[in-house]
Amino acid sequence: MALPKRIIKETERLMAEPVPGINAVPHEDNLRYFDVSIHGPAQSPYEGGIFRLELFLPDDYPMTPPKIRFLTKIYHPNIDRLGRICLDVLKSTDGPRKDNWSPALQIRTILLSIQALLGAPNPDDPLANDVAQRWKDDEPAAIQTAKEWTRTHAMA
Amino acid sequence: METATASASFSDSSHRPGRLRRFSQLRQNLSGHRSRNSISNRVSWLSSSLPGRDSTVTQVGNSTAPCPDSDQPTLARYTSAPTSSSRALALDNQPSSTDSARSNSPNEPSRTSNVMARLRSSSAMQGRPPRTLGRTTTPDGPTTSPEPTAAAAAANDAPAEGISTPPVEMQEGEEEANKPKQKATIRFFPYQDTYQNSRPSLPFVPVARTLPSESCVIRVGRYSERDGIPIPNPAEPSDAPVGFKSKVVSRKHCEFMFVNGQWHVKDVGSSSGTFLNHMRLSQPNMTSRLYSIKDGDIVQLGIDFRGGEEMIFRCVRIRIECNRSWQQQPNEFNKNTESLIKNLGKGDTADYSGCRECSICLGSVLRPYQCLFMAACAHVWHYKCISRLLHSPDYPMFQCPNCRAFTDLSAEVDDTPEYETESKKAAAAKAGPAPEDETEGPSRSATQTPAEAPATNAAGESSEPQEQSEGRAEEGELVTDVENLHLREEQLAEADAESRGSDSPAPNGSNDDLARSATINIPGFQPTQPLNVPPGRSSHLRADTPVRSETSDDNPLTPRNDSGPLAFDGRAGMQ
Repeated sequence: MALPKRIIKETERLMAEPVPGINAVPHEDNLRYFDVSIHGPAQSPYEGGIFRLELFLPDDYPMTPPKIRFLTKIYHPNIDRLGRICLDVLKSTDGPRKDNWSPALQIRTILLSIQALLGAPNPDDPLANDVAQRWKDDEPAAIQTAKEWTRTHAMA
Repeated sequence: METATASASFSDSSHRPGRLRRFSQLRQNLSGHRSRNSISNRVSWLSSSLPGRDSTVTQVGNSTAPCPDSDQPTLARYTSAPTSSSRALALDNQPSSTDSARSNSPNEPSRTSNVMARLRSSSAMQGRPPRTLGRTTTPDGPTTSPEPTAAAAAANDAPAEGISTPPVEMQEGEEEANKPKQKATIRFFPYQDTYQNSRPSLPFVPVARTLPSESCVIRVGRYSERDGIPIPNPAEPSDAPVGFKSKVVSRKHCEFMFVNGQWHVKDVGSSSGTFLNHMRLSQPNMTSRLYSIKDGDIVQLGIDFRGGEEMIFRCVRIRIECNRSWQQQPNEFNKNTESLIKNLGKGDTADYSGCRECSICLGSVLRPYQCLFMAACAHVWHYKCISRLLHSPDYPMFQCPNCRAFTDLSAEVDDTPEYETESKKAAAAKAGPAPEDETEGPSRSATQTPAEAPATNAAGESSEPQEQSEGRAEEGELVTDVENLHLREEQLAEADAESRGSDSPAPNGSNDDLARSATINIPGFQPTQPLNVPPGRSSHLRADTPVRSETSDDNPLTPRNDSGPLAFDGRAGMQ
């Protein structure tokens, strides 16, 4: 199946005007599959870390959201052990406000959202329940753990 | 005693029973025309006496800029590819960013970000005092029509009284309409939970309300024959109650109110509960506190009873749309888009380099010979790209992927002759310098160029007080007025010429409303055209009402519901 123009354009623009702190490169053999790295935002427990993710544009993209997963281990209430991310704009079938994905969103906007999520964990809408609980009970300790994980896993 | 005085008449028109109803509709229609003019007159006149207000009035008058700068970039950001990170982020936080964009607009300097308003408890606490105040001033929405005389009096000394006179609701409402501030508008759309395998909720015709004054409360409850037929989408500001034909909705179920620039919902002791985004607001039969709501929230009334197999036992799920009225008025963005599209294929392509792209394929929409779709928010896509969103399971509801605004695609087309008359007018005004706005489609009323403000001032000062002192009280005269009004449409060109000659030295941007007021207000012009209203006319007149206005809520996409407000299952007409 030929690559839609939209994906080609997006890729070109990502290359031409990269987002600071975010890097997304398509695989040569599959232009729908991107290797992504996101820098942990400053003043967050993830500062200094570089987190690797994989991003896949389904056949139906942009009508369905891209599939994104953290490859680097991360201690975050909205990211589970498998690296799956709980973010409203990535979903089309959950939550009281379904379908926050919009085809007007793009790879770069989604990656920026994920970067923002690192800067603003939301334990009230958890994906990793244990992490979220810890975040609520003892936030300083949770942040400390997040920093440790960042050091061990994201600063290789 | 009822006068046709503009400010007084339309507030009560919708709640009048029987015979008078017809008249009040006429009057409403009439005052829809006239009040707007007299208001613009009044306000600019008012402002001329209050030097400090001059700037604000110019802002209203200036048709190019209800929300001059802030809108354009915000909206443009959704169509053009984001080039900076902050822009891209804004797209993600769409609902809140539109809201804050609105609050940043010069129209609303005092509004703070709605993000904070999400802290429900705190805002609810703030909200209490004004709310109770609202209740005392409007104990019984429909029946509290201001005394016409009082309104007229208030109109006369408007400069002195200012806007803080809550008893005179319409007076206040009208003034607000002309102030740069946006009116509090809310719309209720049916919402279907597609991700749960729950039964469909009660279908209903989308409901729109624009508060006549901020202290008003929209009461929501079970539809009752005794309440009379509520109006789903009145053309004018209204706080008419909203009724749903379901047994799981209590008679007094919940209330929506606008407090401190924020919409709130409150359960008023329903038995089966009010749910905001799936959270129940209060125990059965208990009143809840205020909860702030924002655009896109889901409010559910009651729970399906007996599995909701019968329509009458289904719960009501409402998607809230609020504070989007700025988007439904002419603004830099939609006017710009309109002219770009109009000039497609005409001019040199250099004109539209990179300014509009389809957010779905990222290609330019500004190339001739393509099928395009433009939503009410003026966002444009290739038809091919957007078609899947149009023909979704949610059809006829359509959500703009760029700004998430909801539209009812099946809504009746607004073919009010405003466009027609306006273009006629433009043709008539060819002699003078016709500004671009004039020809720009149904560019809604209440648009005044600063240049003509002085002219209006003059007209207002001369004719307005006179009209009020006349105090024409009889329906007969009303009919005359209406007829005049109608005549004006037929003889628009001449009348226009006349009005221009007599009143306004340079009515460049005046829409025909303005011209109308000028002619109608001229003493001696009226009596020359006394005519009977043919019975068939009235319905025609009804359709004539130019709806795009400060009330902003009745945009052309608001469905006109002829079969009553409770067309739940498409059989409403037969009931």
